[in-house]
Amino acid sequence: MTSDENVNNTNEEEVSEIAVVDSLDDTIWPLINRVLSSVDVTPERGSIDLITQIPRSDIIRALQILKDHEEVQFNYLRCLTAVDNESEGVDVVYHLYSIPKNINLTVKVNLPVDDKTIGTATEVWEAANWLERETAEMFGITFNNHPDPRTLLMPEDMTDTFPLLKSHPFAEIEILQGELLGYDRENQGDDE
Amino acid sequence: MNNGIYGIEIAWLDAVIRLHIIVGLMTVVVMGLIYVERKVLARFQQRLGPTRTGPAGLLQSVADGLKLVGKEDLRPRNADPWTFELAPYMVFIPVFLGFVIVPFAFGMQVRILELGLIYFVATSSLGIIGWVMAGWGSDNRYAMIGGMRAAAQGISYELPLVLSLISVAMVSESYNLNEIVLSQSTYPNLLWQPLVLVIFIIAGLAELNRTPFDIPVGESEVVGGPFVEYSGIRWSFFFLAEYAALFIMGLIFAAVFMGGWAWPLGEELGRGWQILLVTVKTSLFIFLIFWIRASVPRLRIDQLMAFSWKILLPLTFAQVLINGAVLVYDAPLWILTITGLVGIAVLVRLIERAVRPSPAISNEVVTAGNEGAS
Amino acid sequence: MVIESAPDFETQDLLINVGPQHPSTHGVFRMILEVDGEIVKDLIPHIGYLHRGAEKLCENNDFRQGVGYMDRTEYLASHNAELSYVMAVEALAELEVPERAQWIRMILCELNRLSSHFMFLGAFGVDVGVFGTPFIYAWREREALIDLFEEISGDRMMYAYFRAGGLAWEVPGNFEERVREVLVSTRQGMKDFDNLLTRNEIFLARTKNVGIISAEDAIELGMSGPTLRASGVSLDIRKSEPYMYYDQIDFEVPIGTNGDVFDRYIVRLKEMEQSVSIIEQCLERLNDGPIMPERMPRMLRLPEGQEVYIRTEAPRGEYGIYLVSKGGNKPWRLKVRSACLSNLQALKKMSVGQYVADAIIILGSIDIVLSEVDR
Repeated sequence: MTSDENVNNTNEEEVSEIAVVDSLDDTIWPLINRVLSSVDVTPERGSIDLITQIPRSDIIRALQILKDHEEVQFNYLRCLTAVDNESEGVDVVYHLYSIPKNINLTVKVNLPVDDKTIGTATEVWEAANWLERETAEMFGITFNNHPDPRTLLMPEDMTDTFPLLKSHPFAEIEILQGELLGYDRENQGDDE
Repeated sequence: MNNGIYGIEIAWLDAVIRLHIIVGLMTVVVMGLIYVERKVLARFQQRLGPTRTGPAGLLQSVADGLKLVGKEDLRPRNADPWTFELAPYMVFIPVFLGFVIVPFAFGMQVRILELGLIYFVATSSLGIIGWVMAGWGSDNRYAMIGGMRAAAQGISYELPLVLSLISVAMVSESYNLNEIVLSQSTYPNLLWQPLVLVIFIIAGLAELNRTPFDIPVGESEVVGGPFVEYSGIRWSFFFLAEYAALFIMGLIFAAVFMGGWAWPLGEELGRGWQILLVTVKTSLFIFLIFWIRASVPRLRIDQLMAFSWKILLPLTFAQVLINGAVLVYDAPLWILTITGLVGIAVLVRLIERAVRPSPAISNEVVTAGNEGAS
Repeated sequence: MVIESAPDFETQDLLINVGPQHPSTHGVFRMILEVDGEIVKDLIPHIGYLHRGAEKLCENNDFRQGVGYMDRTEYLASHNAELSYVMAVEALAELEVPERAQWIRMILCELNRLSSHFMFLGAFGVDVGVFGTPFIYAWREREALIDLFEEISGDRMMYAYFRAGGLAWEVPGNFEERVREVLVSTRQGMKDFDNLLTRNEIFLARTKNVGIISAEDAIELGMSGPTLRASGVSLDIRKSEPYMYYDQIDFEVPIGTNGDVFDRYIVRLKEMEQSVSIIEQCLERLNDGPIMPERMPRMLRLPEGQEVYIRTEAPRGEYGIYLVSKGGNKPWRLKVRSACLSNLQALKKMSVGQYVADAIIILGSIDIVLSEVDR
């Protein structure tokens, strides 16, 4: 059953990807494309906001353009975080908002597993300071030239292990809460 | 008055016995005051206050006292032993020395001093040394900040307090508290010196470190100030001194402004009635202070200093000058009433001006999406 | 003055540690103040004492269980925290929430905003230095609200009442009367507060022109909620990107002019009036109907490779949930965007150069909840 589903899913995705490229015109993609014409940007339709993939080398320049450009003015950094994709590396995700234009944009940067370094967005928004400190300690990402590269939530000496990576081992208490409950996880819906 | 208590004629022994009676009584009064304060504050805050210990919680202070005596007397390792351990007494003793001159009723005081008012002011300001000692000796930064604040505040507010008492003494033409009370048997001094009354209450609040001038002990800033390292019996000495000072301030208020036991029923009254009269007047002052405590926020140290030096001090000086002019040229006393009321109006206006900062630069309003819409 | 000019005489700045057990740090927040006399020269905030790894825990529990963890990230406005989470799950699962459930959610979120702001008012009053009176005033009103929440969800703080798709169970039969009853006392409580503090001279002296932050700085630092609006930025997600039925409701967004501590206080007080009006409008439109979608899967499984960032206007600002799904019944990544964390970043900027006593009330005016900062 699962294998069939997977096959179907991938087929659908392939089909929809083609459709997406056509239908991005109703989003802010044309605008972003124009603004970021000097940067290699890959768009993707998100559930609510437009998602753009930007290569690591261009990211800070692109963010600066997004902030300063007259037509978009993304002056508000909503959120900065990262997602661990295991073998596919770590995505750093920026959620931007433009207060004057009332538009949202998600910017993603993929970092390879063996070299998790990226420029710091504190040059663009001061708001990125603590958010980057948190992301750095949780995922082991190095934000180059960060003005204050201390830990934020973790103890000051806890710089060798990164809790939000999928490879981070659980403590015993976490296993008890998460995995070894006394019932079958997969069928719990039927028990209700 | 000239007869010693219990017929003892040796002057110093007589004074010691009287002082001991007062100290014993005061401890009970202070415990009562603590209970009353808790009940009154609770009522302002829609609570019940203590209800469990004894009938209507009357024994709460006794229970607290027993608890405090039973607590370990701690001293931080780095504290300066002598300063730390002597500080509570340095706060406690001057306050009780003040009781020497307080007239509870006709002939009921330890001693009648010709310079009674000056003596009161002198003893009450000695307590500041104890505060600074506690702050320094605790080797705690909160305590030190608290101690320094107490010194600054105590010295600043000493001046308006002294000047306000002096201007009353001018009208009464004596520093002797007994004579001040007697001079008020028909008209109390508050009639002639309304401005000074207000200033006395304000400066008294500051002297007592009570809200809104509780900066040295501000719970939310310096966590109890100089007392932060004290526990058990030493801490309770501070507490005792604080409430005793409140009570003595109330008594001085009653004697100096409200005519003590002499007004309004004349000086021929029985001793019981006199004591009742003084108690009522003192309670009025104490209730006022509790009321203020329940309703106003704390000032900041710079505002506090500015208020003392820029507003209270000039006004009291002006009052002293006017008093002098009126008394030297034998002008009618109602001029003092009018100038006093005008002074209060000026005070209120000045407070308003000092307190309300000038309107600052206002930001331009930024609205989400407004540019997109236009 | 002579001392200052003496070349070999140096005075030392005093370092004061405030927190994590200080009465005014609103939880386990710690800041180190470098003071010169009474003036703050530097402020070093330390957070993380309450970090429990809510995000990691959510990643290892299924979508239904996540609601409980959201309560605990923001314990003073749990309904608002749950709302962001369930909306994120709904957005990915493409669940249609029934109308009645939406209205009830709106009412509860606004009620929670009221109770949270009451908590702010009470704590702020104590920070400014009134002995307990505002605190008790605020708690009397908050108690009525919390009793109502308890009648609905069975818990006073950790409600766990919202579900992906709707609500856990139907509200009690007398819900509408009870809400109206509570609103009456809330109105009275707000009026009492206004009388107690707003025009008090000392209160004005302490709060006006203290801890000013400009609109540009506030935006730059990612501040949100009443703290941002006090600086004159009219950014309210309920207006700018309406969710649920806020677009059908008529309400105003109060903003400040000066960006000082007083504006942050007054903006919250005015916001409470708007909340009461919102609740009354919601009550008028509340009608019977289901509270969960008819076709609700037994077991929530989200599609693979989807992600969403949901933001809602919680009492303290933007409470965002970034949810990434890679299939299965657990979130792959769940990020809680905490309003308090971003607002707290501005503390240093607001406090440096002010008095020590001001640093305390500036911290109070940001209205932080440490469990939300640390998560």
